[in-house]
Amino acid sequence: MTATLSTPAGGRHPAGRPVQGPAGHSPRRNTEKRRQRTLTWVLAVISLFTVAPLIAVAVLALSPADAPTLPYALPSSLTLDNIVRIFNVGEFPLWLWNSFLYSAVSVVVVLLTASMAAYALARKRFPGRNALLWAIIATMMVPVQATLIPTFILISKMGGVNTLWGLILPTLANAQAIFLIRQFVRDMPEELFDAARIDGAGEWRTFWQIVLPLIRPVLATLAIFVFLWHWNDLLWPLVVGQSDAARTLTVGLATLNTETASTSNVMAATLVSFIPCLVIFALLQKHIVASITHSGVKG
Amino acid sequence: MSINTRTRNTLAGRHPELTAPQLKPFGAKKARSREALAGILFVLPTLIIFGLFKFLPIFGAGAMSLTEYSLNGDFEFLGADNYVRLAEDPNFWQSLRVTFLYVAIFVPFIIAVSLAGAVLLDKLVRFTGTFRALLFIPYLSSFVMAGIIWTWIFSTDGPLNAALGGLGMGPVPFTSGPQLLVLLSLAVVSVWKGFGYSMLIFLAGLKAQPAEVHEAARIDGAGAWKSFWYVTLPLLKPVVFFVLVIETIVGFQVFDTIYVMTGGGPARASHSLIYFLFDEGFKFFDFGYASAIGVVLFVIVLILSLIQQRFFEGKDSK
Repeated sequence: MTATLSTPAGGRHPAGRPVQGPAGHSPRRNTEKRRQRTLTWVLAVISLFTVAPLIAVAVLALSPADAPTLPYALPSSLTLDNIVRIFNVGEFPLWLWNSFLYSAVSVVVVLLTASMAAYALARKRFPGRNALLWAIIATMMVPVQATLIPTFILISKMGGVNTLWGLILPTLANAQAIFLIRQFVRDMPEELFDAARIDGAGEWRTFWQIVLPLIRPVLATLAIFVFLWHWNDLLWPLVVGQSDAARTLTVGLATLNTETASTSNVMAATLVSFIPCLVIFALLQKHIVASITHSGVKG
Repeated sequence: MSINTRTRNTLAGRHPELTAPQLKPFGAKKARSREALAGILFVLPTLIIFGLFKFLPIFGAGAMSLTEYSLNGDFEFLGADNYVRLAEDPNFWQSLRVTFLYVAIFVPFIIAVSLAGAVLLDKLVRFTGTFRALLFIPYLSSFVMAGIIWTWIFSTDGPLNAALGGLGMGPVPFTSGPQLLVLLSLAVVSVWKGFGYSMLIFLAGLKAQPAEVHEAARIDGAGAWKSFWYVTLPLLKPVVFFVLVIETIVGFQVFDTIYVMTGGGPARASHSLIYFLFDEGFKFFDFGYASAIGVVLFVIVLILSLIQQRFFEGKDSK
């Protein structure tokens, strides 16, 4: 890295390196060094704002009960007591399990049904195809809150209030997933499908052994986002899961927070709820960043 | 949706008349109907799910908004009465005012923060990945979690008021004070939780800018600030517009943080449109009226989506 770095473009185009003096400790290089140092410090301060609240949750969750803790003091020791307690008292484990089912079942079913539909919409000619595609895309413009009431009435007529299936079913309609996968399937070369046909592969085998393996990257991305979306969802679970049988973690946390639960208990529950998201991020960070970047460019 | 280049360049793409009939000189018609059957079968699960839980509720919302609907399924047709009632309901106007005020605070706020984060990350040479991750992490949390954390931070015995107390200032009622303060506090929470996403979009936009333009600006003697204002930002305009629309829609849908932090209060100071819908629907079980509020929300979001689409189509055709 040389004097190129002083361009606002930040040295990411090594080929476009501008005219520069001989290498060495030029004054410009020193200014750049100082600028990078300032930049690092500024970002460190901003990171403090983003991360400190999360660290505070962890500290509060791990503080022994009745010991002085944040914001006035740091606890002298840390303990897992609070976390053990929330697993033993109340319905917390059930909420956790409900949230897990709500997220995991939705991911599997959404990915499977959306891939099938995307394959048909991209590759098969059948009557009403374009109308259906148009209708699915159009639903993306309708905010879920606008259909909250009729969806609730429908589920309540089906007897799905306070059940897990009632919670999960309406959220399986995911237009974004179909739209995204369809773009992938559309971009596959036709020869692939010709070859499969010539080899005598049936429709289901073509889908299962050719299409699915090839769209794995987009499925991985979608799995992350569908999981996070369900795991963090509040409004629909709040409306349909009014009893513990179908109460998710977010709804439970919101109730805990308004009730007179102790700060250490609430924070312990909050910390546990965040761990899966953190694990997913740690494992799949590159994937998440790349997909957001991509969607941003594509609009 | 354009024909994609890869299929266009294949034999089948250039000469569609050569493929299917050549491969299947006999029984082409049969193959066609087999294909249609397969297509329908593959799309069937989605058709059922969407039919029941998207298409039906969308029409249901419109229909229900014209009725008085009770929990046991009895309904009475009212025509436009619910909308007339909305127009005369001070609580509706209050919630609309709250929502617009919140959007007016939240949107410039989140754009400024995410843009600043992206510009700083873009210029950084080392530890970029680390800082990007540190700035992005809150995005993974739920609004509920963010609300719980910030309820504690904003509370009278939380760290913020502890620090202010150390400076000799009285406790500030961040979530129970004057309306602007409460909405600002709520916006802070949503910005903290949400800006990572827009930041990454901005960052991608910045990375896509040609280095030559910036170099030219530098040679012409533009400083960092001028170069940002006159070169970087104008080039970034489409991305800024995209983020603006997305975040505006997010802003209009604000609910979770309000539910956790203020309950719409104090005295309806943070009673947003969705909160109003939620209250009318699930506190008063006035389903027809609540549906009408949903239709209003839909119209607002639709207008925003159309503006966005028009803008992007206009850009593509150039």
